[in-house]
Parts: sequence; structure tokens; C-alpha cells
Amino acid sequence: MTGANRARAGIRDGVRRWLRLPLRDARHARDEVDDELEAFVAARVDQLVARGMSGDDARREAIRRLGGSLDQARATLRQSAEHRERTMEFREHIDELLHDLRYAARGLAHRLGFTLTVVSTLAIGIGATTSIFSAVEALLLRPLPYLRPDELMKLTIVAPAQGSVPGTDEMVWSYPKYLVLRDNQRAFSAVSAYEASDFIITSGDVERIHGEQTTSAYLPLLGITPSIGHNFDADIDAHGGARREAIISDALWKRRFNGDPHVVGKTIDLDRAPFTIVGVAPEGFSGLTGGVDVFVPITIRSPDDLNEPFSHEFSVVGRRRPGVTEAQARSETARVGAEVARRYPDQHMTGVESAKAEPLNNARVAPLIRRSLWVLFGAVGLVLLVACVNIANLMLARAGARGREMAVRLALGARRGRLVRLLLAESALLSAAGALASLAVAALGTHVLSGLTPAALARGRRTVSGLGSVSFSSIHLDGWALAFTAGVACVVGVAFGLAPAFRATRASVADTLKDGAVDASRSRRFSGRRLLVIFEVALALILLVGSGLMLRSLSKLLSVDTGFDASNVLTLPIAPLPGTVPRDSLPGVYEQILTRLAALPGVRSVSITDCPPLNGGCNRTLAARHQGASDPAHDPLVMIHWVSPDWFKTVGVPLRRGRPFTGADRAGAAKVIIINETAARKLFPGEDPIGQRLSLGQGGFGSGGEIVGVVGDVRQFADSVAAADTYIPYAQSPRAGMFIFVKTSGDPVAYATSVRHAVHEIVPRFPLRDVKTLAERTSAATATARFSATLLALFAAVALTLSVIGIYGVMSLMVTQRRRELGIRMALGADQGAVRAMVVREAAVLAALGTLIGLAGAVAFSRVLSTLLFEVEPIDPPTYGAIVLVLGAAALAASWIPARRATRVDPTEALRQN
Amino acid sequence: MALLKGTLDLLVLKTLSWGPMHGFEIVSWLEDRSGGRLAVDDAALLQALHRLEERKLLAAEWGVTKNSRRARYYSLTTAGRAYLRAESAKMVDHFDALVTILGAKKREASS
Repeated sequence: MTGANRARAGIRDGVRRWLRLPLRDARHARDEVDDELEAFVAARVDQLVARGMSGDDARREAIRRLGGSLDQARATLRQSAEHRERTMEFREHIDELLHDLRYAARGLAHRLGFTLTVVSTLAIGIGATTSIFSAVEALLLRPLPYLRPDELMKLTIVAPAQGSVPGTDEMVWSYPKYLVLRDNQRAFSAVSAYEASDFIITSGDVERIHGEQTTSAYLPLLGITPSIGHNFDADIDAHGGARREAIISDALWKRRFNGDPHVVGKTIDLDRAPFTIVGVAPEGFSGLTGGVDVFVPITIRSPDDLNEPFSHEFSVVGRRRPGVTEAQARSETARVGAEVARRYPDQHMTGVESAKAEPLNNARVAPLIRRSLWVLFGAVGLVLLVACVNIANLMLARAGARGREMAVRLALGARRGRLVRLLLAESALLSAAGALASLAVAALGTHVLSGLTPAALARGRRTVSGLGSVSFSSIHLDGWALAFTAGVACVVGVAFGLAPAFRATRASVADTLKDGAVDASRSRRFSGRRLLVIFEVALALILLVGSGLMLRSLSKLLSVDTGFDASNVLTLPIAPLPGTVPRDSLPGVYEQILTRLAALPGVRSVSITDCPPLNGGCNRTLAARHQGASDPAHDPLVMIHWVSPDWFKTVGVPLRRGRPFTGADRAGAAKVIIINETAARKLFPGEDPIGQRLSLGQGGFGSGGEIVGVVGDVRQFADSVAAADTYIPYAQSPRAGMFIFVKTSGDPVAYATSVRHAVHEIVPRFPLRDVKTLAERTSAATATARFSATLLALFAAVALTLSVIGIYGVMSLMVTQRRRELGIRMALGADQGAVRAMVVREAAVLAALGTLIGLAGAVAFSRVLSTLLFEVEPIDPPTYGAIVLVLGAAALAASWIPARRATRVDPTEALRQN
Repeated sequence: MALLKGTLDLLVLKTLSWGPMHGFEIVSWLEDRSGGRLAVDDAALLQALHRLEERKLLAAEWGVTKNSRRARYYSLTTAGRAYLRAESAKMVDHFDALVTILGAKKREASS
């Protein structure tokens, strides 16, 4: 056995490792190699000299055996030694890390309550945040799927008020006005007009599809190139009566033409007119109005129709020129708008028309939804804050509890950085577990969100319905959401692991090692932990108040008397194919249909109307009591409805005065009108409207009709008061597209098939789709309110849960820390009730302070919410009162278990050393 | 004949199985024990020692030789011992197979 004596070069390596002190480094390794090489050479020389060589020869031979060059050998060996050091150091680090993680995991498993609390807090907080973030991203942030979408702007006409017709800045264009814009503007590289226009395919399977009429600049402006064929030629915009060409959607191409690559040149009959297909749009493009299957030129209309300057129908989109700012585009649009007004002045207007431009992105979701989303995002931020506050609380407590352990380690020579890393391992594990769990919560959240599609609101703003509804269904967990989750988890984990870790390892060794040492912070009245709980309670209160108000608003909305009875009513839109039925024969055809349907077993009543209630309003027109031309400045605006005589009976609208329409009110007979109570109040205040004459701007009632009846109010908008409605008999003013309403004696869905068959018996080729119950149609009207309220309620529930957890945690900790004190008190005779009361009182004080602060915040928050509330004041005493009670009860419940634990402290054990 | 890298590693491990040695001792012992048949490349050996230490099959520490010189002593770790046991069995088996083939007197196997 050689090498019997071993000199110590500092502490043995094994010992160095155990205490986690740093090992050798690379520089040291190089010196060692030199030493080792020298020793090797020297030993070789000794051996050779012992065999009889001379010193110099021996050295030369030794070097020869090393490969000929000492420097070469040295260099090679240095390299391998450095490699060895680096690898071993790396392995050391990995080992340390694994050790830290394992140690942290053991520690966490040992305190399962703490671990589960933190992980579930993180899961809920981050999961909720990620869900709403996905929604915000999908609806507000994700760029529109067009070329350089931030350059796109929506141009509208700003029309001043005309008498009782309110002004609007969202008016659409007429074709001549659009041409003035197009030819005079300088800020946009291209502008294009478009309008949604449904068609019925009359070749092959009859089918109703959505279409758009556009100018030739439409597709290039959006950056869309047809996947087959080409865009419309520019010359097609020249004048009306242009050739009938069509670009079909990818979906239509696959559905009806089986993806035929030679589809260009084929024809498709739209409304019985043949259109030549010139191109197929790429997959995924469905126009700016959404769900579009066919694009045709605007100019297929007749020149008379097209050149009417006051027939406002077209939306306009424009792409800013490079280098033109939004502000410049806006002022340029206003300038051109004035030019348009100069060219086509409207005598009826009291003010001057103008035009404005808005980024298309802003128009994508209804402002109400946009506002709701940002409010919710703020709410979610608060929830996450509450969650983080909770965790900080718990971690600080935990770090405090380990003060002694850290002090011992420090005294034994552990580096502070090493200890911090040890503690960070714990928070890293917690964040990782929390993040993983939060993905499950977020998956659930996004699933719920994507199902809450407020279809009606999208319909109300027709020009962006496509963008809005498409965005909603695209809310799902994607890479962005995952990155967001990971980011938040990291920040939370590190931020709330670092502070406690630094604090714990800064402990003065002597203090914490003393017997019975007390954590100084806990005896301060407003210690960090207490402040955190107060803050938590305040946040929970704010969110609860917000959600309470929204829920009340929602229940008011839902319980509003709509004025009609939607139960057991089946509705279906019906429209004859253009050209199949002459207008004057329509009443006869519909009469047959109604008679046929009334004969079906189980049908109580059948009627038709042009526009279902709670639909956001239908046609409006000016009503005048006087003779002569309408006076927009003074004549009131009313809703006008076309109905068959039985309609009021079908939907249960009560008749207040006079008589309903009868079969006698037909073409050729005297024109009659029925108005609702609001119209009676507005148009005939203090008088009896029956028998009086009223003229209406539409339906051929310009010369007036006699009012024969007054009916109850029916709501057209879910969240506003009833409007003035007028009803005219369908038979005296035939229209093509109507809704059939069928009141059944059981579940209306069961009658859908028989109703369709019955209709098709009379009119075999009328396309029928979108058969729904009236209840379904109207529920969409309240969808937004439900959406916002549900979400806010969810977050409030989350905040409440987190607060309860927070209070529980702090109270629990307090009981643990004050075991000695509690033991002494009980030994001195304090009964269980007194001890319990002490704990509960402490919790109550915290909750009360939090409530006070929270009330102030809640008042501010509810002011922000007031735009979203319906018939509920921001300062609503019942709501506030109820929530304070709820929060108080929750706080007491949270402190109950720790209070009971306090009473079970064994005095003798508590008095012994900790 | 030149030694393969894996073979040199095993030889070093075996050499150290009786106790710690420093670099030159290992070379010297191998040369003596093999009767001069094994010519170990010095530089290769020192590199092999670094490699084995990296893989934690050897542990190293500085000591003093009987000539009062400072030298780096290598010793076998538990892992090294296990590795030696497993791999030398494999290698012995491998060479046994070689010897069987190379020493065969005739083509057919003797029954």
C-alpha cells in the first residue's frame, strides 16, 4: 500500500461536499495538472536513473514516453482536467438542485394543509386570470385576419339630428356619396364599399346563403387573393347594370362544387339570375360581415337604384396609405365628408353632414362588450392580486417559522445564497404545481366563456357581426395563454419566495437560538401579515359588491315585463323566391299557409309578422297627424310592424281599446292602424286615439290610416323602455320576407317538422331554415348582461374563497405561535369560551377594518360599473348590506376552526419548550 | 499492440482495486505485472485517470510518496468497484471467445 501519509490540502473533499462549500475551480485544476505532470516525470526519471541511465538521458526518455513534448502533454492534460472539473461541477449543481427540490418536497408534504392551500390558491387565481386573458386576447387583442389590419379603418357618415330622429355617427353611405369619397380622398391607398345581402341559390338544391355586394377594390384592400381564378376587374365598378359575376367562398366551393378545380366559368343562379363564377376565396375568409358565401359586385344593381344619393346602404372600409397617421386619416375623412355634404345637401337636415374614420379593430366588438371585458380584466387582476397576497401571507408565516432552522444552518457555515436557494426551491415547487393545476381551471374557464356568445348583440351591429361572433368562438387555451400562465407563475413564485427567503436568512443568530424566542413581528399591531389580510378582505368586498350589483341588474333585466308571452311559440322566417310570387298575390299565399297551419292538431294560433319582438327594433318611420309631406324636424319617430290579424293573440299582447285587425281589413278596404300605449301617450296625449287619422312614412300609409285599436306595450330592446309602436295589416301592405309565428299547446319544437311540411305543401320551393322557438330568439337579447354578470359572479366567488383561506391561514398561524400564551391563560383559569372569543375577536377586527376600506373601494368600482347596470343604482343599500353580512359570516367561519384549535391547547405541553 | 480506450480504463480500475496509487505507480505496476508485454502510453493513462474521475469511478486526493514527493493519489469508489466487476467479466468473456476462434485447430467444432 503506497501513499501512506496523506497531507491535508485544506478540508477533505468529502467534507467540503457535505457542507455544501464550493469545490475546486478550473484555475486550480490547471495548477494541479502541472504538479501532477511534474511528479509523474520525476518518478519516471527516478526509475530510469535507478536502472542506470544518466539524469539528462532519463529526463529525455521520460519526455519521449510522454509523446515527445512536455508542453504538448501539459496542454492535452490541462484540457482533460478542465473538462473533468466542468463536468463534475455541473453534476454537483444538479445534485444540489435535486437535493433542494427533494428536501423542499418533503417539507411541503409534511405540511400538507399549507401546500394544498397555496396550490389551490394559485390554481384558482392564475386559472381565472388566464381564462379572461384568453377572452381579451381573442376578442380585443388578436389582430384581425387581414393584411396589416391596423391600417384598416371603417368610414362612416356623421349625420346630425333631424327633429326627433337622433343624430348618429355610424351612418352608412350611398353609392354616389361613396364615389365622391373615393375620388377625392388622399389619405387612403384604397377604399371599398360593401353591403351584406342574402341570396337564394336557385340552381340545384335551393338554399339561402349570406352574401356581400362589394366594389372591385374589396378583396385586394383586405389583402385577400382568390385561391382559384381572380378578383373582379376594376372596370366592373364603372356603372350600374354590370355583368353578373361572383366570387364564391371556399366552404361553398367544397360544398356545392365538390372542390372542382375548373369551377371558374361555371354559373350559379342567385335569386334566379345566372352569375358567372370568376374566383374562389381562400379558406377561412368570410367577408367583413361574417359567414359570407358569395361576393358579387355592387354594380349589378340597376343604375337608377345605384345612383340614388340618399339611399344609404353601404359600409365603407379603407386602408391608410403608408406614412399616414390615424389622426391625419381622420381629418382627411372629415374634409371629404364636408365635400360630400356640399355635393349632396339634404334639405331636411338641420345641421351639416360630415364623415369620420375609426380603426376597424375598434369596431370589432360592440362597445358594451368591450367595456365589460376590460372591467372583467381589471376584476381578474384584482383576484390574482388577492391570490398573491394570500400566498405572500402564508409564505412569510412559513419563513418566520423556520427562522431557527436557518439560524443554525448559518451558524454552521452555510452560505446565505445557498439557503435562499433552498427556500426558493419550495416556492418554485409550489408555483409549478399551482401553474399545472391552474391549466385545468383555465381549460374549464375558456370552455365556459366560448359558449357565452352574445349573438343578438352581434346582430345588432350588423357590419361587424362577423368579426365579433367569430372571435368569441375562438376563445380557447392557446400558446399565448400557456405563456401567460407560465409567466405569472414564475413571477409569483420568485417574488413571493424571495422576500421571505431573504428575511429568514437575515435572522440574527443569537436572537433566534435563544429559548422561547418570540417572532418580534407578530406582536406589532399592524404587522405585515395583518395588513395583508385587511387588504384581502377589502378586495373581496369590492368584487362581491360589483358582482352583486351586476346580478341584481341581471335579475331586473330578466324579470322585466316584456309585454308578450313567449311560451310555446314556434317561429320561422319565410321568404318567397324572387319572381315566383307577384307582390299582390302574397297576402293570398300567406293566407293559405296560415289556414293550413291552423288546421294542424295542437296548434292554437298562427300569424305572421315582419319582425319578432326583443329583436333590437325593426323598421322605423316618421308618424304624422297632419296631412301633407312629412316633417323630419318635428314628426315623431315610431316603430312600424306588419302583422296578420291574429298576431296579438298568438303572442298574448292585450288589447286595451278598440278592436284588433280582422279579415275585413284587406287590400282595397279603408286603411287601418293599431298603435300601442306608448304611441298613444306620445302622439295623442290626453285624447282618445280611436278614430283619429295617422300617416306613416312606410308601407304605403303616407296618406294615412284610421286608428282602430290600442294594444299593450311590447319591448323591442331588453334594456330600455318600450318605444312607440304602430301596426299595419299585412294584407294592406304586402311584404316578401316575414316570420311565421305558431302558438302550440305543447313543446313547440315537437311541431317543427309538421309545420315545415305544411308550409311546403302550399309553397314547395320556399327555403325554410332557422326554425326556433320565440324564447330562444329573445334570450339572445339578454345574453350580454348574463355574460358579464356570470363572469363577475365567478370572480367574486373566487375572491371570497381566497379571502376565507387567507383569514383561516392567518388565524391558524396566530394560534400556533401563541400556544404558550394560550397555554398560560388556560392554566390560569381562562375558560374555553374566553379563549375562543379571543381568536374570533381578532379575526373580526381584521375583517371589520377590511370591510371599511373595501366599502370605499366598492363605491368607486361601482361607479365604473354604472354604465353596465340596468335599473340599479351604484349605491344600492340592500346589495351592500347583504354583502357585508356575507363577508362577516365568512370571516367568522374562517376563524372558527383555529378558535377551536386554540381551546384544545394542552397547557402543560405548551409551557414546555417549543 | 496499442491498447483500446475501454481496455485501459479497466486495467486502471483493476490496478487500483487493491488500494490507492498515484499515476506513475499505476504505469509501473502494469508494465511489471504484464512482463513488459503491455506498453502503456503515459499521456493516455493520465487522461484516462481524469476521465474515470469525472465519471466518479475514481476519487482523487493529494498525498506524499515514499520519496517525499507530492503526488495525486487515485482510489476506487464503490461505483468504480461495481463497474470493474461487471465490465471485466464481460471483457474476459469477450477475449475468451476471441481465443476460442483464433486458437481453433480445425473448422468444425469438436463435439
